[in-house]
Formats: sequence, structure tokens, C-alpha cells
Amino acid sequence: MAVDETARALGLSVDQKAADAMALVPSLVTFDHDAAADRMALEALCDWCVRFSPAVAIDGTDGLFLDISGTDHLWGGEGEMLVDLVARLARWGVPARAAIADTPGAAWALARYGDDLAIAAPDQQRTAIEGLPVAALRLEDAAEAQLPRLGLHRVGQLFALPRAQLAKRFGLATTLRLDQALGMAAEALTFRRPASPWFDRLAFFEPISAPDDLARVAGDALALICQRLEAEGRGAKRFEVVFHRLDGQAYPVRAGLARLGRDAGRLTKLIVPKLDKVDPGFGIEVVTVHAWAVEPLAAAQDRLDAQAGTSLDETLAPLVDRLVNRLGENRVWRADPYESHVPERSVIRNAPLDPPAAARWDPDRPRPVRLFKRPEAITAIAKLPDDPPMQFTWRGRPHRVRRAEGPERIGQEWWRAGVGEEDTGPGKIRDYYRVEDDVGGRFWIYRQGLFGEAEAPKWWIHGLFS
Amino acid sequence: MTPAYAELQTTTNFSFLRGASHAEELAIAAEALGLSAIGITDRNSLAGIVRGWTAAKKRDVRVLSGCRLDFMDGTPSLLCYPTDREAFGRLTRLLTVGQRRAEKGECHLSWRDFLDHADGQIGLILPPKDLDEAFERDLTRMAGDLRGRSWLAAHRAYAAQDLKRLERLDILGRNAGAPIVATNDVLYHGPERRPLQDVITCVREHCTIQEAGFRLEANAERHIKAPAEMARLFERWPRAVERTAEIVARIDFDLGQLNEEYPDEPVPPGKTAMEHLSDLTWSGAAWRYPAGVPEKVETQLKEELRLIAKMDYPNYFITVHDIVREARSMGILCQGRGSAANSSVCFCLGVTAIDPTEHRLLFTRFISENRGEPPDIDVDFEHERREEVMQYVYRRYGREYAAICGTVIHYRPRSAIRDVGKVLGLTEDVTNLLAGTVWGSWGDDLPEEHLRNAGIDPDAPEIARAVALATELMGFPRHLSQHVGGFVLTKRRLDETVPIGNAAMEKRTFIEWDKDDIDSVGLMKVDVLALGMLSAIQRAMTMLRDDHGQADILDIADIPKELPGVYDMLCKADSIGVFQVESRAQMSMLPRLKPRKFYDLVIEVAIVRPGPIQGDMVHPYLKRRNKIEKAEMPAPSPEHGPEDELEQILGNTYGVPLFQEQAMSLAIEAAKFTPDEADGLRKAMATFRNLGTPDEYRDRFVEGMTSRGYQRDFAERCFKQIEGFGHYGFPESHAASFAKLVYVSAWIKWAWPNVFCAALINSQPMGFYQPAQLVRDAREHGVEVLAPDILASDWDCTLEPMTTGFRAPRIREDKVADYDNRHNWKAVRLGFRQIKGLKKAEIEILTMARTEGARTPAEFAQGGVPQRALELLAEADAFASVGLTRREALWAVKGLKGEHKAPVQAPLLAGLPLFEDKVALPKMGDPQEVAEDYRTTSLSLKAHPVGFYRPMLTRRGVITAEQLMSVPDGRKVSVAGLVLIRQRPGTAKGVVFVTLEDETGVANAVVWKDRFEADRNVVMTASFLVVHGRVQRAENVIHVVAEGFTDLSAHLSTLRDEPGAPAPRVRQKVSGRLLRSRDFH
Repeated sequence: MAVDETARALGLSVDQKAADAMALVPSLVTFDHDAAADRMALEALCDWCVRFSPAVAIDGTDGLFLDISGTDHLWGGEGEMLVDLVARLARWGVPARAAIADTPGAAWALARYGDDLAIAAPDQQRTAIEGLPVAALRLEDAAEAQLPRLGLHRVGQLFALPRAQLAKRFGLATTLRLDQALGMAAEALTFRRPASPWFDRLAFFEPISAPDDLARVAGDALALICQRLEAEGRGAKRFEVVFHRLDGQAYPVRAGLARLGRDAGRLTKLIVPKLDKVDPGFGIEVVTVHAWAVEPLAAAQDRLDAQAGTSLDETLAPLVDRLVNRLGENRVWRADPYESHVPERSVIRNAPLDPPAAARWDPDRPRPVRLFKRPEAITAIAKLPDDPPMQFTWRGRPHRVRRAEGPERIGQEWWRAGVGEEDTGPGKIRDYYRVEDDVGGRFWIYRQGLFGEAEAPKWWIHGLFS
Repeated sequence: MTPAYAELQTTTNFSFLRGASHAEELAIAAEALGLSAIGITDRNSLAGIVRGWTAAKKRDVRVLSGCRLDFMDGTPSLLCYPTDREAFGRLTRLLTVGQRRAEKGECHLSWRDFLDHADGQIGLILPPKDLDEAFERDLTRMAGDLRGRSWLAAHRAYAAQDLKRLERLDILGRNAGAPIVATNDVLYHGPERRPLQDVITCVREHCTIQEAGFRLEANAERHIKAPAEMARLFERWPRAVERTAEIVARIDFDLGQLNEEYPDEPVPPGKTAMEHLSDLTWSGAAWRYPAGVPEKVETQLKEELRLIAKMDYPNYFITVHDIVREARSMGILCQGRGSAANSSVCFCLGVTAIDPTEHRLLFTRFISENRGEPPDIDVDFEHERREEVMQYVYRRYGREYAAICGTVIHYRPRSAIRDVGKVLGLTEDVTNLLAGTVWGSWGDDLPEEHLRNAGIDPDAPEIARAVALATELMGFPRHLSQHVGGFVLTKRRLDETVPIGNAAMEKRTFIEWDKDDIDSVGLMKVDVLALGMLSAIQRAMTMLRDDHGQADILDIADIPKELPGVYDMLCKADSIGVFQVESRAQMSMLPRLKPRKFYDLVIEVAIVRPGPIQGDMVHPYLKRRNKIEKAEMPAPSPEHGPEDELEQILGNTYGVPLFQEQAMSLAIEAAKFTPDEADGLRKAMATFRNLGTPDEYRDRFVEGMTSRGYQRDFAERCFKQIEGFGHYGFPESHAASFAKLVYVSAWIKWAWPNVFCAALINSQPMGFYQPAQLVRDAREHGVEVLAPDILASDWDCTLEPMTTGFRAPRIREDKVADYDNRHNWKAVRLGFRQIKGLKKAEIEILTMARTEGARTPAEFAQGGVPQRALELLAEADAFASVGLTRREALWAVKGLKGEHKAPVQAPLLAGLPLFEDKVALPKMGDPQEVAEDYRTTSLSLKAHPVGFYRPMLTRRGVITAEQLMSVPDGRKVSVAGLVLIRQRPGTAKGVVFVTLEDETGVANAVVWKDRFEADRNVVMTASFLVVHGRVQRAENVIHVVAEGFTDLSAHLSTLRDEPGAPAPRVRQKVSGRLLRSRDFH
């Protein structure tokens, strides 16, 4: 759970019950916490920090460790580096606190509880942290809560206690944390490998901006990730190439596949036409590539009977991809049955290669092979109140009904948006009949409205059976 | 001529989330359409039949009791109708078998089970969707088993191939010997209920309406249809319609035949039950009136016994007497209430402690002579020991003959809007908002104004639709649950009268009908209820005997009666902890009502309730009582009746109706309702929104009174009052029994406030106040209260001799009783129960270790007390008596980790950390000590937190709660304190009451609606608050009417944070509020 600045100003806090918060701010909008998204954002930040140091480790849910040994001189010193890092993050709307110290423990303590942008002089972590609260030591919850109860509020007070007594009461973890902060015990950080499982990046010494170069590096980047996908027997459905400009602006270009794939050439063809949206400005310094919806994909093996070759999917899929990427995502679809009693709404559009819809046509509800987009008015003669018509006239031609089945009575969907009382009342009820005329033509006709209502019922034809 | 038609397949809303009409609505619609009968066939349940049957009793339509049996073994379902009483008994046994072997709410049956109970049943077989060969085989088998007693149900719901299907059914039925019979498979009474039926289908299927697809019906045809329409639909099969009437004619059973006899109680040989009851009563009278039974009482007893004999209820009274006698022998305190309980017979039998002849109570009828309505006696028992009494009842009558009543859990506004909102696909935020506008659980509608206030446009179509549907859904049964303690007892096996199912609680069962149903069919029940105050009173009486030598106080009846000092105390609203009159509303009523005698308490209990408040009866009553207004008896115009026709009813209450009985009597006397109508009115009000009929009654009531010359305003107020009683009806007979406990608990508080305090804390959770307030109140009365201590405390609070030279730190002069008993009091030692997180079992180990001589933390650890418990004790400062401060104790306990498991330790060295250097821990400041006390025990005996801020508050011009007492009316003041209670009563039109506590006492603030809306934030969240406003005094009740607030909550952190401790900078661990207010909303 988290609250932003605005919410905090309204008196909301993290430990509140949702109901209490709603009582406080009736117009409050809440979102579910998405831990995975937070993690992804932190990982992205971690990857970005590689520009400061190759060794970056994620710390918990909200922190990063950077091992800057030997890199700070590039910024002209630790202080300048720290300022640059925090300023860049701030430009991107990421509020951050940072500190530099000899040990991860002391840096952690200073970043969270010390002055902003604190730098502990070499070998001075003891003085730097002794005034900080004990919570700065990354203690276990019980110790963190109980130490202040004993009057032990500051880290410095712990230095003064007999170590054995402290360890006995609050565990070896407590003394270890003390030692780690002071550099008397080693602490291994798990640095994140430069690339995530489905992420790769290309950096350039010289910023690039020519369209051909952009296309080439996009291909290179895609090739990188596709090689890895292949090596691990996987494919992906969605790819993204992001062009990072010198000034921190980023331009993502996406390509989607209808089926799992890892063909860099094909992907490049899908990406290149969209590159005109990338404004290189003063130049692109980094290109990153991501793959999503990664799933196992067996290496394709041609069948022995070479003629039959590839399956329908394999031939259809590239076609669908090309159509979709050319015509736009919503312009290519497959019609599927949909569970609605109202005929017009019993069909929906699905993605071309999606698994078949769960809904099936119900044999007890016969539907015509051809359903008119708009029903056409007819005139009909029928016995009251709900017998099938004996005769009807459609487009000026009379039809004598020889056989009929029905009525199938269908009410309107009262819940749909914009539907009022009068749209669902007896006047809008439809009685459908399947009828056959004397020359064997089969029609689906209906009467809208019931007899005896204010408005006289009307007859319509809605489709043809084969 | 219209053919006769009976609808034999109807689903009520007792087939949860399937039927979309109440059984009553179906019965009414059936009559209106001219059906000869309808049969109610809920799924594996008879829960709805009583309601349908009751609604039809006075109507020209027959409601048949049936049931749709769904089988687990693939057999098609069967609509089963018992043809006579014996067959009905077999059906209920069958359902009991099915329900008992399944989880709560389910019923598992096979065709085999049915055949075991099939005698006398006739049935309609329900064809499945596919009429395949398997069905043909099933049909032949079923029709064979039920030769000549089965039909095949056929319906025309306007599906595409209805006629084809009917044709086939007709042939199948004829071949199998189960001819088709027409039904409309009814789901609701009229087509307008289709949307609601769609919604509940979605609730059942856990989907939104958009996703529901074919799970919804295609049209709105499944309602009750007129015989002519059914005949038209089945034009080609006229016999199918005619057969419905033939089936009805074969059914000889009606629920009216149940009329179970009550179980016979064992009586001495040669006596009848009535003679035995008479003997018990007269010997009881001799015990109650040792000086001889007064003539008045004797007359009353004779009259009551005559009535009991006439109505044939002696066994019932013997039962109640027996349960009460048994409870007494187990040492369990109990008291009866209810209309029949306030009879002299019950007083003599020891069921109640109130002598009705002594208090001039209104006993117009303790049993209704006109209607065969069973008598009603509820008995309250100590809440912790009620279970023992229930087990006794089961033992005595057997589980076949005794069971707990059901309770129907209805859709309430909140649950209705939540379910509807989810189905309609409203976002959770909107649904929460809609639900959130219903503040409190007893609102019965969603007023538009509330919606607007919450920022929702009630005219937006989606919202309007959701609200309309939710309003319709309110009052629908949601599931069945067990009644808190209503036992039904029968002579015949109970499962031959009503199905019995499993409750959620292990080994508990309950019947399918609720208490109104039980009344309707004439079964008798005894309520065995639990009451926390009885536990507290029992504890108090035990302490009085054991600690204070008051050996003669054995029962409630032994408490000295009508002592003026007790009433003096109540008149001052000094009533914290006193039963029923301790709420804020009651406390402001006490000084206005000024109770001086027992009957005043009866009124006090009943007057602060929705009925009198909604009927606007409170002020007229008070004015007349306090002689500000003349007491006038409302009267009809002379030509319509005698001027004093209401004297009998309203005489005791100055012509203002306050009790439920009075309102009902008004309906009969003034509005000339027949007793049956009055009864219908009572039921319409009591069953939550059950019938759409209260309006009918309103007109009938108001017109009835005005046409006889009563003032319209009075008539309307009376009806509003009746509506108010609907939810929380409080008859005088209940109020009288409660008033007894008011007096008894007030007496304990007055005479022995130390005992009162300890007994109430030991009976927690109960009542309105938390231990902190109870302790504070006791101390203000001069009681010495001691902190929980490792050497002195038990789990419960105990009494011990007062510390020599004890002087009460904060006695409130106005709370000191004139009855000076103080030298006899003992001190209250708080129990370990007050320390958060401790478990009773841990304390048992601790007391064991203590008797073996343990004193130090190490010794207790060695005695087996878990480390965790010792840490909690140390943090709660419970080691003071062994010379350890809170911090020292915690340091010592933390150092014990694992030590007590060491193999052998010389006792000499035990617990002495010889090898440890003494660690100097910083001393804790006073504010931190108090904050820690609150954190660990929710109270502090050392000081009040607000006291630490007094200089700051004085600088801000804030006065104390004590000073507030002497501020004149209308003066502007500021008061401050910890927020104890926030209350927003449903009856108070959006007003919020805030109770503040400072080191001198409690101050009450009233926040009007506008002010609340403006400062909602502060009012809802502040834990330390300054209220600026104007003093309002009326009859010694002082409120501050809030005009502004200052939130000082942030200052409280300085209590916790020691000087010198670093202020947390970035991350602040949530450390919990100092004090959690109790919010009622």
C-alpha cells in the first residue's frame, strides 16, 4: 500500500483501512498495489544506473546499491557524481535520496536517516552514523521495535553496550549489522547482471541519428535478443525497441506477433516502417530491446514430407502479421459466436489466431446462416396474439407460409448503457419465427411488440436460412 | 368458461439467488389472477412455505406446500407434494436426512432416499434440457416407482422449439404413465421482476451481467399467468391444464394441520400438568410472600392460571420453570422476560424477579386469548455459561424433539448495493461509495440526498438503475442462519414437522423456519439467550460474598430494593457501566427523566429507542412528566367513544405512547383494528420490508384514528413510532425485566464501586465502555486501583486490602455517594487479562510457578512461563514489586533467551546474571511511562496523557472537562482531550457526537452536520482534539456545540519520543495510536 503526496496532505496514510480512508475522503480513488509493476520499475531503474557503475544491486523494494569504486572520477568526484545522479532522477520525476560511504551498511543508514546527499569520509562511518536512530541499522523488526523501549534510540548507544549481552538479547544479526556498517564484517551484494532475462542493450560511443543507422541498430538489437531466445528454446509475442536520446528522452517502438516467434529479420521488417516516429534530436546514445509474453517455443523442425511442409498456422501467421501490421491492429478479426439472446449481438470480433471462443451455437436456438445487418420491414398477416404469420410481403413480393416454428420470444438487454425503460418494455419484445414459404425459401422473421400494447406490433425479416 | 388452473412450479426467493419474488407476492399475484392454488416448490427446502401459506390464509387462493427435490445421482428433479400430514412428515424427514449429511446450506439426496420416504407423496417429474434416451429410461423408472402418482411437468416459456418439445413430452409421458401437466416454471410473480432475476442469477454465477450470456433467461415469461392464458398456451393439450386441478384435489395437506402439541412434561403421579403447575405456582407464591399471599396477587394468580388452563399451556410454563430451576442449581444467573414472563405466575415460579402487582405494569394481555398465539418467554443467562443450559435442554428433550430456530439473514442496503453494483459492472469505487452512503446498518433505503453528498449523481442512468435494483433486492433472504437461542420443542419428532439442517458451528443444527414462521404454524419456543450483564452481576455477587462477607446476597432478589441513593446517582447520570443506561443518549436522558422509582427505569430503558424518537414522543412525555405541560389524554370525538377510552392504555405514561404494546393497543382501541389486523400490522413491521403493505396499514391506521376524531398529527406520529418499533421494538414487558438489571447494576455501582469495576472488567468484552473508562470512573468514586503485578495479579481482576494510608488521587465530589461505605471497600488489583497479547494458559503456568516460590524473571522462566509472555509482562511494567523498572525487567527477560532450558542450575544462582556486567539503561521519562502503559494495557494508573500538555493547552485558552461543568450556558469555550468515542446515530440526522477525555474528566461535543462536512477530516481522524464551541446546558447535561477544531494528534508523538531520541526522518514505522477511539458508524 502506498499514498502519494496529495493523499498524504489529505490526511491519508499507509496503515489506514480503506473504509476509514473512504469516510475521510469520499471521492477517494484507490488502486490495487501492483508489486510486480513496482519491481519492474525498480529493475528498470537499476538497469539505467549502469551508466554510473557496472555494479548495481537491488535493495529490498525501494533501494539500490551502486558500487562506485573507481568510477566517481568520471564525474569529477563523489560529490558531483551524487548530485548528478539525484538531479537526473529528479528530472524524470523519481524522488530519491542518496549517500556515499565505505560500507553498504553506512551508506544505507545515511541515505535513509542522515542528511541528504551525505558523504561519509573514508573510515569515518562510525562518527557518521552514531547519531542516527537504531532503525538505520537494518535490524529485524523485533529488535528495531524493542531497542527504543529500552531507551536505546541511537546507533551510538549500541556501540557502548557489551557486545555479548547485546547479541544474546537481540541476536547475532544485530551485532553483524553493526559490524557491517562499520566495515568490520564483510557484506556481499548481489549485483544484478547487466541484462534482465529478456532485455538487452546496445550503447554507442558516438551518438547516432541517421535513419539507416537507426534501422541497422534496431536489427542488431533484435538479433541480440532473438539469439538468446533461441538459445533458451523460447519465443515471444511482443517486442519493444527503445531509442534513448542524449537528453534522457526515450522513444519506444513496438512490434507484435500473432504467434510466438524469434525471427529477428521478420521483426526488423515490422519495426523499420515505424522508425519515422523516432526523433533522434542530438543523437541516440543507447538502444534497449525488450521481449514480453515469453514462452517456450520448440525449435521448428520441418516435416519429413517436405511438400506438406508447414502447418496452416505457420503459413497463416506471417500473413496475419503482415496484414495486422499494415492495416492496424483492430482491422483484422475473426467472427466468433457470443452468448447473447439478442441476434445482433450474438457475434463478436476476436483476434485472428486466438484460441476458439468458448461460446458455441446452441442447437435449441436455430439462427439463420445469413443475418441481415439491419432487419427489413415486411407486412404480414397472422392470428392473434402470437401465432406465426400465414403470409408476408417482403420487398414487394408476397410469400405464403407453408411451415412455421416459433415464436421464440426475446427480450431486450435491459442493462446495456443508454437503454431506458421504454427500450426494454413490452413494445420492444420480439417474437421470432422460422418460416418456410411454398417455394421452399426459409426466412427468419419477427414481430416486434406484443398485441394489446399502445403501439401496434411491426413485422421484420432478419435473416435467411439455407 | 375459464378453466381452473393451479401453478404447481414456483420458486420463491428462498431458493436463494434463483427466485425473484417473496412467497407472499406470489400468493397475492396468484389470487389476483384467479388461480385456484399455487404450489411452492423451492429447491430442497421448505423455508418459504410458511410465508406463502400465511399470506394466503385470508385470501381466496390455496398455497400448497411442496418442494423441488434435486438429486445427486443424476435422477431428474421432482416436484414433490405430500398429500397428507404423515406424508409431509416423511418429506421433512427426507430433507433432514439430505441436509444433515451435507455442508451447511446444501442437501444431498438420491432417488433411493426419496423412495424410503415416498409414501403419500405425489410428484411432477421435471424433464431435462435434452429429451434423450437416458431421460426416457429415467422417466419410465420414476413413473414406475410412483405408479399413478406422477406427472411430467411441461412448460411453454417461448423458446424456439416449444411445440416440438411439448409434442415429444406428451408422447413420452403417455408411454411412461406420467401424463404431462402444465406449469410455467415460475421464477417471479410478474414480468417486471425479470431484471432482478437476471441480477441474482449473476450473483449466483459470480459473473457480471455482460458476461452472463445464456445463463440469463431470454425473456420475461416466467411469471404467474392467468388460467385463460395458460389454456391458450396449451391449446393443443387441454388435459395438461385440467390436470393441475386434479392434482390439487388429491392434496389433503395444509400447514394448518401441523398445530403440534407441546411436549408433555413429567408430572408427579396422579396429577395433570395443570394441577402440577398450579402446585408449583402456589408453593412459589408462599416463598415469594412469606407474610402471606396478598389478596391482589391471589386474584391475579387465579386469573392467570385460568387462562393458562384454557389455552392449554401448562406444559410450556413447566418447561420454562424447569430450565430456570436447572440453571439455578448449576449456579447460573438468569432472568425471564417477554409478555408471558411478566405474569405473576412467572414471578412465583422464579422465572422473573419483578412482582407485576407491585409496579402497576401494564398487563393488558400476557397471553393473547383471541388468537391461538403461543406464549412468549425469553430467558437471559450469563453469557459465558449459556452453552451449559443449551446442552441441558438437548439432554432433557433429545435432539429429535428440540432444535434451534432458524433466522433469515436478509439483504441489507449495504449488501444489496454491493452485489448489484458488482453485477452491473460498476467499479468498486462507485460501489463502495454507494455502500458508504449508508451509514450504519439499519437504514432501509438509499436516500438521494445521501448519494448527492457522496458525490454521486442519483439521476445518472447506471446509478439510478443500480439503486432501484438494490432497493428491490433489500429484504430478500440471503441465507439461513441459526437463531441466537430460540428452542423449538415438540412432542412429535421435530424432523417430522420441519426440516433440520446443519449450522456452521460444529454439532449445531437448526430448523428451516424462523420465529415468525414458528408462531404462524403454532409451534412453541423458549428463548435461551446470553446476557453479559448477568455474568458481571454474578461475578459481583460472588465477590461480595467471598471478599466482603455479604453472605446473604445469593440472588438478584436479595439486593435491597428501591434505595433512594441509587436513584440519586442515576439522576446525576453517574451511570458508566450500568446496564442499558450507560450510552451517551441514555446518560443525557437520565437527568431529564430523573428516575425515582422502578417504573421510571422501565420508561428510561424504553424511551431512548428508534420508536419513541421517530414518533417524536420523547419531548411530549418529558414535558408532561416534568409538569411543564398538562397531561392530556388523547380522545376521540364524543360521538365515537368515551373520552377516556385510552386511559387504560396510556394512563401510566401521561397519555404518551412509549411502548410497543401501547402502540398496538392504540391500533385496536383508537383505530379500531381487529386483533387479526393488528397482528398483521405487527408482523408487517417486524419482518423487514417483507410485504409491500405498510402503506396500506398506514392509511388504515391514520384514517381509522382521524375519522374517530383524533388529531391527525398524533395519529401520524403514532404510526411513525410503530415503524420505528419495526426494527427495535421494545415492549414494556422486556423493558421491565431490563429495568430490574438496571437497578441491580446501579446498586452494585453505588454501594460497591470497587466490586462493580472488577466484575465488569472480568466480564469483558461487554457494554459500552472499555476498561480504561471503568477504571477511571471507579477511581473518581474513590476506589483504589492497582496495576497488574507479577506477584499480585491473577488473570482476572481481584480484590485485595487497600494500601494503608491510601488517599484517592482524584475523587469527584459529585460522584461520591451519600452512602458512606468506603471503609469497607477493598482495592481492585487489575488482572493480567488487561495486558495485550497474554494468553490465559500462560498465566496459569505463571500462577503455578508463583505458588512454588518464583519471584524473579529467571525463576518464572524456569517454572515454564514462555519468554514471549515474560517480555509482554516486562513491557507492561508488571515487575515493579520485585524492584525492576520496565526497562530493567525487559533487559533481564531478553537475557534469559534459552537459559531456562539449561540442564541444571543451582537454585542459589538461578536468575542471577552473575557473569553479566550491569548495563545502565537510560531512565524512562514520565510521559513515556504513560505512553507505554497505554500501549501495553490500554490505560495508565500513573497519569493521564493530556496532563502533560496542560501548560500548552492553558496557553491556548483550553479549559478542563472539570471546569466545563461550571461554565454557564451559551459561553464560548475550548475543551481538549483524547477522542474516546465518535458516534453518528442513525436517528440523529447526520449529527456526530464526540466524547473527549482529559485528565479531569470527560467532555461531550456535538458536531452538527454542516460543521462535520466542513471538518470531516479532523473529526474523523484526530486522536487528540481541541473543540472550540459554545456551551449548551440543559437539565445538567452539558455539551459543547462545535464551531471549530484544532487537531493536536501530531503532538502525541512527543509522548512516545524521549527527549534526545532522534526524530524519525524518512521512514516512520507505524507505532499505533496511543488510544484507539471507538467509532460507531
